[in-house]
Amino acid sequence: MYSNLLDALPQVLGWANLLSVVIGVTAGICVGALPGLSATMAISVLIPFTFGLDPLVALGMMAGIYNGAMYGGAIPAVLLRIPGTPAAVATTFDGYPMAQSGRGGFALQVAVVSSAIGGIVSAIVLMLLAPPLAQVTLLFGPAEIFWVAVFGLSSIVFLLGGDPIKGLISAAFGVTVSIVGLDTITGYERLTFGHLELLDGINIVVLLVGLYALPPAIDLLENAHLEATTDKFNLGTGSIWKAIPQMLGFWKTWLRSSVIGVLIGILPGAGGSMAAFLSYNEARRAAKNPSEWGKGEPEGVAASETANNADTASAMIPALTLGVPGTSVAAVMLGGLLIHGLQPGPMLFRDNPDLVFGFMWQFLFGAILLIFLGGSLATNSFAQVLRLPRPMLGAIIIALVFIGVYSINGRMFDVYLTLGFGLVGYFMDKLRFPLPPVVLGLILGSFAEENLRLALRIGRNDWSTLWQNTTSQIIIAITVGVIVCPLVMRVIRARKSDNASSGQ
Amino acid sequence: MKLKTLLAAACFVTAFTSSAFAQYPEKKIEIIVGYAAGGGTDVMARTVAPFLERYLGDGATVVVKNVPGASGQIGVTEVAKAKPDGYTLGTFNLPGMMARTLDRNAAYSADSFTYLANVVDDPNVIVTAKDSEIDTMDKLIKAAKADPGAVTVGMSSLGGDDHLFLVRLQEDTGAQFTIAPFKGSAPARTAVMGGHVAMGIFNLSEILGFRDELNVIGLATKERSSLADDIPTFAEQGYNVVNGSLRGFVAPKGLPDDVRQKLLDAFKKAYDDPEFSKAMVASGNPVNLTLGDDFKALTHEQYDFAKKVWETTPWK
Repeated sequence: MYSNLLDALPQVLGWANLLSVVIGVTAGICVGALPGLSATMAISVLIPFTFGLDPLVALGMMAGIYNGAMYGGAIPAVLLRIPGTPAAVATTFDGYPMAQSGRGGFALQVAVVSSAIGGIVSAIVLMLLAPPLAQVTLLFGPAEIFWVAVFGLSSIVFLLGGDPIKGLISAAFGVTVSIVGLDTITGYERLTFGHLELLDGINIVVLLVGLYALPPAIDLLENAHLEATTDKFNLGTGSIWKAIPQMLGFWKTWLRSSVIGVLIGILPGAGGSMAAFLSYNEARRAAKNPSEWGKGEPEGVAASETANNADTASAMIPALTLGVPGTSVAAVMLGGLLIHGLQPGPMLFRDNPDLVFGFMWQFLFGAILLIFLGGSLATNSFAQVLRLPRPMLGAIIIALVFIGVYSINGRMFDVYLTLGFGLVGYFMDKLRFPLPPVVLGLILGSFAEENLRLALRIGRNDWSTLWQNTTSQIIIAITVGVIVCPLVMRVIRARKSDNASSGQ
Repeated sequence: MKLKTLLAAACFVTAFTSSAFAQYPEKKIEIIVGYAAGGGTDVMARTVAPFLERYLGDGATVVVKNVPGASGQIGVTEVAKAKPDGYTLGTFNLPGMMARTLDRNAAYSADSFTYLANVVDDPNVIVTAKDSEIDTMDKLIKAAKADPGAVTVGMSSLGGDDHLFLVRLQEDTGAQFTIAPFKGSAPARTAVMGGHVAMGIFNLSEILGFRDELNVIGLATKERSSLADDIPTFAEQGYNVVNGSLRGFVAPKGLPDDVRQKLLDAFKKAYDDPEFSKAMVASGNPVNLTLGDDFKALTHEQYDFAKKVWETTPWK
């Protein structure tokens, strides 16, 4: 199998194939950086055009877009607190505070280096470990996936912010939005109010731009009299090669987040956002200065950005070997393979080794190219956007958001929905409700519910089937260890110090 | 005088319109696909489009437009409501499109279309994991009867061909199964391979790439398939079930006869082109042509069966 890998290399190094990756990465960075446009959308728009292209050229573009977009999402996340893609939400936590304190340039450099490292690790894992990791995917049935979702949901605890009640209300709102649509188990429509457009549920991009992109855009318009944002955003970009030595201390985070990203990637249905959230939490837990996190800790940006690129190539592992995509982007990419007559499955590796292994190389090249294309060049050109007068910047963002949302399914309904969520987001912002729990609730709410009910149906309503197998037990143990123990410890410690102080 | 002008105008209009039809197609033809780009139905439409262009002749252009949402319902409704001028066609999935008229409020019915050609017939199969003890129909039915509901069945969704196939099987054998509807067939297939469900119901094209990982117990066709002639049919094993997923093309109701005939001819010629079936099979679409009125009859037959199932054992 490894000889196949080497055999595929010369073809990938052909100029047309290399160029396609370069174009893909560049396009991906732009798409990721524009709020409202996502990798999923860019690839699905691209697919019809690739019909007549050489398969490797098409695949190279897709791999490039995927890698590029996962980094590109960090650019507005850092500069404007608007995550460019769903997976960049966790990047705003520390990236935006860094930008406000004049270290936006460094934040973007951390993001691009971390993204590249995550992408490289992921590509290497895909190249070397695809078949054994596919076996890991097989261990995860509905019961096991349910526990993974529970694990993810319980990390909401760390995202609640200052006021836990408000945080929980936010999370509940996210979960409510997640159950809109057709219930797959019974076939009933939930909260659709007779609208066919709601049957497939609410697309995460619609919610995300409504909550995250519209309120800051409105804010730009509301306070139009303020100076252009340049003074505040002194990017201070030096050469990326000088910045890298300052980041070497992040190696533990890079490693941890890469592992988390890869693992989330091979689980069907989870995705980049969950990987970024989990790895941010884990990095903060492991940090010596957790109280500084959320106020501009570069390592937070590193954690989130490593993880959301580390699940790109690994999401292709179950996609290529089993036909189950690990993320929504991998799902559209499968469509791109199908259109070239490449059916996923073990036969694909046997019948088309040049294409499959070439595709893997392209993931690796895409990740490496990020450093060159996403480095100071892209970063600086996007930073120029901030020189625009505030009303113009706000108007541009709103226009982009509408175009992006409209193009998901080509209908106005989604645009109206976005406006509705924009209104909700505006008031949540003013009333200081935290937004991250909404996103996590939307991603994981119905995911947990669906798998729980499917597991119970398979177990013929015997709840004990949920924790009877080893994989489930391991995940439950991890959840308890990582989430519950620290909370219990904190309560015990708080009591002790209470007792100590009252005793004195 | 006035009457004369009116008559002349009427003649002129008639002449104009009929000559327009005579030259069909004189502008681009749009095929509405109710699913996102890259799905099975979309790939079928994109594979068919260039062959239609070739056999319609006269530099015809056929473009695919994706109108995704509500498992195809939004797209097919748009086709039903379009002008029947031959410039709007649509893909049509059976039994799905007919089942939607039963389990949802649909703004169309079986009579809303002019039926052109069903192109794809992807028969159902039953599979189990490679290491499963159940590897023949007799063992499967025995297990299902020994403990009714103990055999869990992974499948893509309720009210689809997988589901209706299971209903046919339950009717034929009297055995009872527990349905586990996944979100799409790929996750269901993975659950079968991982041993999380006892068996799975899929379409032939969905398991061709996984022959080494799965036992294929039977095929729901009258005769063996040329794509995998080692898979026995259910009929051979004494079970009378034939079912599958059908994909074809329709136009809005009231398509002018000459346009209809032109399209039927083009579909027929495309189907006879050996390149066509090669391209279709490569993209996972086993072909079998059913033209015009036969396609219409097929749709009504599918509707009647789905309706019967819906009335006796509604799936929601």
